[in-house]
Formats: sequence, C-alpha cells, structure tokens
Amino acid sequence: MSHTLRHWIKTFGLIELFKGLAVTGKYLFKPKITVRYPEEKTPISPRFRGHHALRRYENGEERCIACKLCEAVCPANAITIESEEREDGTRRTTRYDIDMFKCIYCGFCEEACPVDAIVESRVFEYVFWERGENIMTKEKLLEFGDKHEQIIAADKAADAKYR
Amino acid sequence: MKDTDFKVIKGEVKERIDRWISHYPADQRQSAVMPALRIVQEVNGGYLTPELMDEVAAYLGMQPAAVYEVATFYSMYEHQPVGKHKICVCHNISCLLRDVDDLIEYLKEKLGVDIGEVTPDGRFSIKKVECLGACGEAPVAMIGKEYYGNLTRERLDELLESLE
Amino acid sequence: MIKIEINGQIVEAHEGDMLIDVADEAKIPIPRFCYHKKLSIAANCRMCLVEVEGAPKALPACATPVTDGMKVHTRSPKARAAQKAVMEFLLINHPLDCPICDQGGECELQDVAFEYGNDVGKYSEAKRVVPDHDVGPLIATDMTRCIHCTRCVRFGQEISGLMELGAVGRSEWMEITTYVGKSITSEISGNIIDLCPVGALTSKPFRFKARAWEMVAHPSIAAHDSLGSHIEVHTYQDKVMRVVPRDNEAINETWLSDRDRFAYEGINSQDRLTVPLAKSKGQWDEQEWEDALNQTVELLKPHLNNPDTVGVLVSPNATVEELYLLRKLLHAHGVKDIETRLRQIDFRLDEAAGKPVAPGLVNTLPEIEAMESVLLVGSNLRYEIPLLNLRVRKAQLEGARVRVLNVADYPFTFDLEDKVIADPQALVDTLKVLVRAAAELKGTEIPAGAEDAVVSEQHQAWAKDLVESGKATIMVGAMAQQSPLYADFVLWSARLADLTGATINVVPQSANEVGAYQVGAVPANGGNIDSMLASDKKAWIVVGIDPELDTVYGARLKQALDQADTVISLTAYDSEYLRSVSDIMLPIAVHTETAGTFVNATGDWQSFKIASAAPGDAKPLWKILRVLGNLLDMDGFDYVHADEVLEEAKAQTQSLGSVQGDLAIPARTCDKPVVLGEWSLYSVDPIVRRSEPLQKAAGAARPVVRSAIEADEIVLNTPAGPITLPNEYDESVAPGVVLVPMGLSETADVTLTDVSVAAS
Repeated sequence: MSHTLRHWIKTFGLIELFKGLAVTGKYLFKPKITVRYPEEKTPISPRFRGHHALRRYENGEERCIACKLCEAVCPANAITIESEEREDGTRRTTRYDIDMFKCIYCGFCEEACPVDAIVESRVFEYVFWERGENIMTKEKLLEFGDKHEQIIAADKAADAKYR
Repeated sequence: MKDTDFKVIKGEVKERIDRWISHYPADQRQSAVMPALRIVQEVNGGYLTPELMDEVAAYLGMQPAAVYEVATFYSMYEHQPVGKHKICVCHNISCLLRDVDDLIEYLKEKLGVDIGEVTPDGRFSIKKVECLGACGEAPVAMIGKEYYGNLTRERLDELLESLE
Repeated sequence: MIKIEINGQIVEAHEGDMLIDVADEAKIPIPRFCYHKKLSIAANCRMCLVEVEGAPKALPACATPVTDGMKVHTRSPKARAAQKAVMEFLLINHPLDCPICDQGGECELQDVAFEYGNDVGKYSEAKRVVPDHDVGPLIATDMTRCIHCTRCVRFGQEISGLMELGAVGRSEWMEITTYVGKSITSEISGNIIDLCPVGALTSKPFRFKARAWEMVAHPSIAAHDSLGSHIEVHTYQDKVMRVVPRDNEAINETWLSDRDRFAYEGINSQDRLTVPLAKSKGQWDEQEWEDALNQTVELLKPHLNNPDTVGVLVSPNATVEELYLLRKLLHAHGVKDIETRLRQIDFRLDEAAGKPVAPGLVNTLPEIEAMESVLLVGSNLRYEIPLLNLRVRKAQLEGARVRVLNVADYPFTFDLEDKVIADPQALVDTLKVLVRAAAELKGTEIPAGAEDAVVSEQHQAWAKDLVESGKATIMVGAMAQQSPLYADFVLWSARLADLTGATINVVPQSANEVGAYQVGAVPANGGNIDSMLASDKKAWIVVGIDPELDTVYGARLKQALDQADTVISLTAYDSEYLRSVSDIMLPIAVHTETAGTFVNATGDWQSFKIASAAPGDAKPLWKILRVLGNLLDMDGFDYVHADEVLEEAKAQTQSLGSVQGDLAIPARTCDKPVVLGEWSLYSVDPIVRRSEPLQKAAGAARPVVRSAIEADEIVLNTPAGPITLPNEYDESVAPGVVLVPMGLSETADVTLTDVSVAAS
C-alpha cells in the first residue's frame, strides 16, 4: 500500500524532474570546461603521438642513419626506407616514406630509433586533400621536423626523466 | 724474385743469413726470419723498410704479410730511422720507482728531441722500452748492446759524452 | 669410439676430436668466434671456454681434445662466468654502432653478446680506434670493429694461399691490415666477408644497401664457371642485393669465388634491355611482345625454307631448358647449326670421333683433392675455376706433386713440383715424350707419333710419378682448349693417361657447357662455329652473348653478321654493337630471373628457381621459345612449367664421343709466334663484364698484350685490318707466344683462327 502511495507522490509531485533540473542548475553556475575548438585548445601531453617528424642535429645534419629498425618494428608496415652510402661515407636514407593511412600511431618507430631521428610530434591537425599526400616523404618529414624542432625538443626533454 | 733482384741480401749479408738458415731443417727456412730481419736492420742503419721486409720474405720463401707480422710484433725492430746510438730506457716498475721519469725528461731536454725522434746530428734517439730484466740496477738503459745501470743525471752526462 | 659427458648427456666421440666438434655434433651450443670448421685452430678469442671436471681452469673447447670419460659442463656457473668475462673483454673495444653496421642482424658478436653478455658494460674509458685502409673495390673495412679472431688471416694463409692480411703490432695496438696500403687481390677474397664474425670486413658493393632481415634468400646455382657452386641469392623488393655461398661439400664447400659472388652487380646494370626493339627504316622502335614475336616469326620464316643458311650462336651459360627448346624448335625445321662452343678453334677431335666430344670431369672434386700426382696441361687454373684450384691446392698441401705444361709461367697459389713453359707445339711434343717415357716404363709398345721423342731424366720422373702414385690425374685447361692444337693436347693427354693409369679431366669452363653437349646445342651435322662462319649464312640467331666479345672469332663473326640478311638477337643487354647488326632485339631474363638447370663439370643436373624479377618487359628465354613454337604452329610447345621442359630434355640427351686416345687426327702445326687468347677472370661473360666492382678488381682484364718480345707495341693482323696494342714485356710468357686479352672492346677484332703478328 505504502509502495503504491509513494509511487503516486513521486510521479505527480515531479520529484524526478526537479532532481534532474537541480543538476542542470548546479552546472549552470559551475565554471565551464568545454573549449571552443579550434579557437581554443585542450592541453596535450608531451608524449602525444601525432604527425611524424624527422629531426636534425644542431649542426643541421640529419639524424637518421638508415638502420631500418623503425621499418622492421612498424606493425602496420607503413614505413619504407631505402639506403646507400653518401659521398662522405656515412650511411643515409635515399628514401624515407611513411604512409599516413597505414600508420596506426603506435609510436614503436620512435621507441626503436637509436638516434631519436623519427619522432611523433604533438601536431594532430592535418588533412590530406588528395590521394598521394598521405605519403610523407623524407623531405616533407625533415621540413616538418625543422618547423617544429623547438617544441619537439622541449617535449623530449620533458619526457626524458621518465625513460 | 731472381737473385739479381736482391738489393740488400747479397754478398756478406747473404752469407750471414745463410749461416742462420743452415741451423734449421732445409724445408723450414722461415725459421731464420728473426735473425734475418735483425741483420738487414743492422745493415740498413738500424731500421726496417717495407722493401727490406719484402726482400726477407722473398729470400726465405715467406708471404710478405707474415714477415710484417713478426717485424711489428717485436719492439726491437724499428720502422722509423733511429740515431747511431739508440738509448732504450726502461720504464717498468722498478725503474719507475727509482724515478726514471725524471731521467727521461732530462734526456729529452738535454738532447732536444722527443721519444722516437733522432737528434739533428743523427747520433742519438730515445726509446721507452719495457723491463730490461736488470731491476737490481734500476734505473736501467740499454745503449747499443750494452746495459747501463744505476743511472743518474751525472752518469748520463758522462755516458753521452763518451759516445761518439 | 670413446664416451664423454657433456652437461650430463653421454656423447660418443673419436679419441682426439676437439671438444667443440663433438659438442656441435651433439647440437650442444658453445659460443665461438675464432673457431671455424675449415680453418686451423687458433684458440685466441677464448669465447668457447667450458668447464672440464678435473681441470683447474676453464678450457677452450676448440683446442681441447676429448678423452674417455671426460666430464664437461658448458652451462655451469664456472663456465658461465668465464664466458661472460670473455664477452665483456671483447666488447670493451667494440664500438656500439650496430645501427649503421652492415653485419647488424647477422652478426655473430651480436648474437653471442645477446646470450652471454652483460646488460650493462662496466667499461667507461676511451675505446680504441683503428684507422681503415682501402683494400680494394670488393671489401669494405671498419677495423675498429675487429675482435682479432684472425679468421681472415688464416683464410689467406691456409685456404687462398695468398696471405694478404696480417696481424701487425701486438696487444692493444694489434691491427689486421695489409700493412703497406696494398689491396686484396685474391680471386676468392670475398670469403673473408662471410668469415668475419663482426662487421669489420663487409661487402663494398652491398654497403648500406639492405638489411639482413628484410631480404629473401633464394637457393640457386652460380652461373659463372662450370662448377655450379651452390649459392643463395638474397633479394630485396625482387632485386638481387647480394649472393652468398651455400654449404656443399661436394662442390664449393663453404666458399665462393669473387666472380660468382659479385657478378650480380651486372644483373642490376643500367645496360639491361627492358623492352623488345625492332628496327624499321634504320630506326629502333619499342614493341609490344606480341608484335615483336610476330615480327620475329616473319623474319625467320623465309629462311627456314633453306635451313642450311641459318646459324645460331648461343651462350654456354644458357640453361638446359633454353638450349633444349632452341634445339627442338630449330631441328624441327632442319636448322642444325646451333653452336655454344664459341671459344674453340680446333675441332679435329669431333671429326675423328664422328660426333661431338664433350669435356668433363671424370673425378669428383673430393677425389681430385685426394690425388697424389696432378699434371696440368695448358691451364691457368686459378683464374679459370678458382674453387677447382683450391682443391688442387689442398691436394698439393697434402703432399701431391703438381706439374704443369703451360704457355706462360702463371702464378699458382701452391708449389709446383716441376714445370715446362713453352709454346703449344713444344708442349704437345713434351706430352709425346712423356707418353714414350711412360710406354718404356710399362714396357709396352710406343704409340705411333711418339717414336722420335727423346726422353730425358726430367720426363722419366714425370712419367714415373704418374704411373706409381696410384692416384694421378691429368687436367686439360682452358688454354689448351682454346689453342689451335686442342685435339693434340687431348689425344696425347689421353694416351698418357691410358698408359699411366691416370684419369683425364678436360675441365669445362662455362656454367652449362656440359649441358649444352648433352641436350644437343652443338651442331648435329659435324659442323662447328668455324665451318658455320665459312659457309654463307643468311640469317643468324644470337642468344645471350655479346657476339663481338664472347667468341674468339672477332672480325670474322662481325663480317658474317654484317653480311647476313637477318640477325635476331635474344639478349639480356642492350649494346651499340647489337643495335648496329640486329633486326630485332628481344629482352631475355638472366639466370636469377628464370627457372632452369645447369649441368656442371662433373655432370650433375642442378636445377634452380626464380629468385629475382626481370627488369621491365624482359622474359625468360624458355617462355619466349615456347611462344615462338606456338606461333610457328608447331606441336609439343604447350609447356606450362619449366619442369616439363626439363623432363623432356632429360629424356632426350644426345650421344656424345668420349675422350679417347685411340682416335686418329690429321696433323697440324702452328707457326710461331703463336697468338693465343687469354680470358681474364672478369671478362668471361656478359654479366661479369658489366659488374662494376669486378671490373675495378685486380683480376680485371687490361687491353695489353703480354709476350717475351721486347717491344712497346705489337701489331696484330685481323680480317678487319691490323690493330695495334700495347705490349708488356713479360719473361714468364714462353718465347714464341703472344697472349692477347679477350673479351675486351679493344681486342674485339682479334680472330684467333686468322691472326698473326705483323710487327713489333
């Protein structure tokens, strides 16, 4: 009996409705966490795995030595490397392609690299307008690395103590 | 190589080497490689050149590389010109303890040359060597075929003057 | 047999066997660097230390002979401690540059360090750095990586016979080097790349090209000499990256000649023909295969009505399948003149026997290694078949007497008991003397022709040794085969062999020379390349060769091709010369790009499969011939697989004459000075000639004539007029002999059937 009565009161007293509105009311006066992307952005971890980059040493020499460990470790077979002896006798790539469609952004390439040449940067906002643009060539990757070197270096430094 | 191709191993040098070869079985001429190298080094003014080593190799029927191996292994074969008197100063433990380093510095200063260099007049060169086996008389030096023990600065001065 | 115990496991062994061999046999792993089963024991790396019960210290397994009841532990704490300590020492001076090292991924040091090394090194002082020396175009050095196992040094001393590397200096300053900036010149030097357990010696042409793990290994057969060495072709993206040997005790053991190892660079050459080309109005047009094959049939058909006017020249490196289909296709139309013996000028033997007489080894290579007396007739064996030379060297080191009859005093890598250096005629005369000496020794009748021979003590000793040694062989080499007196050489060698009980081995040179005879790729009508060139051929089919370089008929062949109405070239390479004489050029695949079979010198049929992709539109020759058969409306050309062709070829081998002493041949003399062709190591076939590293190597041909004539230049008469070549005065060449380097564009006009010295 009392069960039925309580049910009636709940239903016609609009208790549930007011409970819900109370939550709404509470959040109405709380500070907002929604950001207005793309004008506003959320903070990103230095470990974020976004667009790839090939880095250089401070003297401008490319880091990559064509050891092909990233190619070997890549679970998606997204990396293709061809190498040869450069005129000064050092081992260098003649081709370093990453197929961004195949890539699953696992970061293994970065882990495998003995010279910190290939890295995944915090940049994730990029689009391809045409087929073929998804192949990141060595030139594009180096250029990308040059452009973002400061932030990449800072990210690496921030993460270094956990490695 | 034909007999006429030998520039150094001929005449008396050849005889001396042959005497050593005769000490070994006929099919083991290469056993005489060390005395042969020593003899040609002596004739050449105290050091060996690749041509000389090639000649020894040809004469003893050895591969040149095998002769180079021997000649570079033993420290008494020289590969750079040396002075008329090669001053070999021991720098192992007993001599070190008796302050041979100071003597070496003194020698360098007095002769004006570094280790391995020859004085301008061609008389002396200095060489650091391992233990000469005369620790009882440390510090020791070997000049030519003679040992000189209990060396001091003064004794060195006397020695250098006595040597032409 | 004795019993020993390794890690608690009872193992049977022969007394005196080394512990490491016994453990290997029982598949118990013991790490090692300096030990190699084909080299002497050095015991200088100390990596194979194991604990032997009763011995106070750990012992090196490679230098410890087993004794009955020995108890060995390879994984006990004591053994592990010793192995770990040695590993640590070895890594002290080894650079951590595996990512840029070509050995990375197939490195013995890496593997052993992974298993026996510590995770972290304790050594933090400066590492030793060793300067590199340029040792030639084939081998790259990174001597800082060297761990002084001395395998390369021992290889030079014991196997190749040329000690070109030595360990100079001692202790910390010890270096493996050629000492005074010399380069490595051995014809089998590439083996030190395989021997090196670290990345100190690596392949220069392969440098930084690919990684061990990303290549596919295809078992195959080497195609540049008649042994048919077992190889592995390593490909990356269907392109040949390198060639390494496969173990085979009966043929190449674990070795490979530089020619077979580095020739692949010629396969990847820019000169490859990639599309069918047809000439119309003096212009070369690229064609679709269908059109090109139809045109080929159009060009060929009129001549097939008159089959005697068609001549076919084929590379003796073509596969059995290719040669068989060519024969089947052309014999059906009556064309009999298919020739693979492009370097032979004396065919009297075939005429006497009534059928082609094939060369071949009657002894297996291990048998040759066990010989006690060897007579080499006209052979620069070291530069003809390097790995056969190794077997003779082994025999000599075991005490065999090796004697040579040669036109030049070639440098052998072993000691010769005796030698006769003379012109071919004098060498044949020497053989006659030896026959007479042997007959006198045996008390048998002196064969006709040898009655006038005057026997000296030297000859008696030679003959006596052949008779008495029990295991003796006479080997007839390339110089004899290509001389105008080939038949005399073979006949008198055979007679000498008959009398002395020695075996006779006429050494085949090319990969499928023996196979070519067996499947009938030599004229079936008693003809030969000489008679083909003498008759008036209207059409030529040229297969797999550079016609101006691959024969000894130089200008004569060039003239014949010029005068013909039709020349059809099936070629792997584009060349100016082929363009100038051909009417159509069809691109064919080379041996790594087709399935096929080679019959090697000892008569083994060795098949191999496709390893790499042919460039562009090039197709395997057997497929081209199959389609040509279809287009000519012939029956029996419906093969789907190369195996079917092989089956058929095997069932239809030809009957051949054998090398026998009782044949009668017409006498021939040759005038002095005799001009003889000399094939350098790296000019023998189109692939080798286009391998850049080999052309820079020590064995490459130079356009210089060698003779004992004191002159700066020698003028040779050829059918195309006189040519002048620089002459190198060389006392090692017999008087009356002029040696001309063949396979070079400079000597392309030299015709050995029609050559004389005009002036010097």
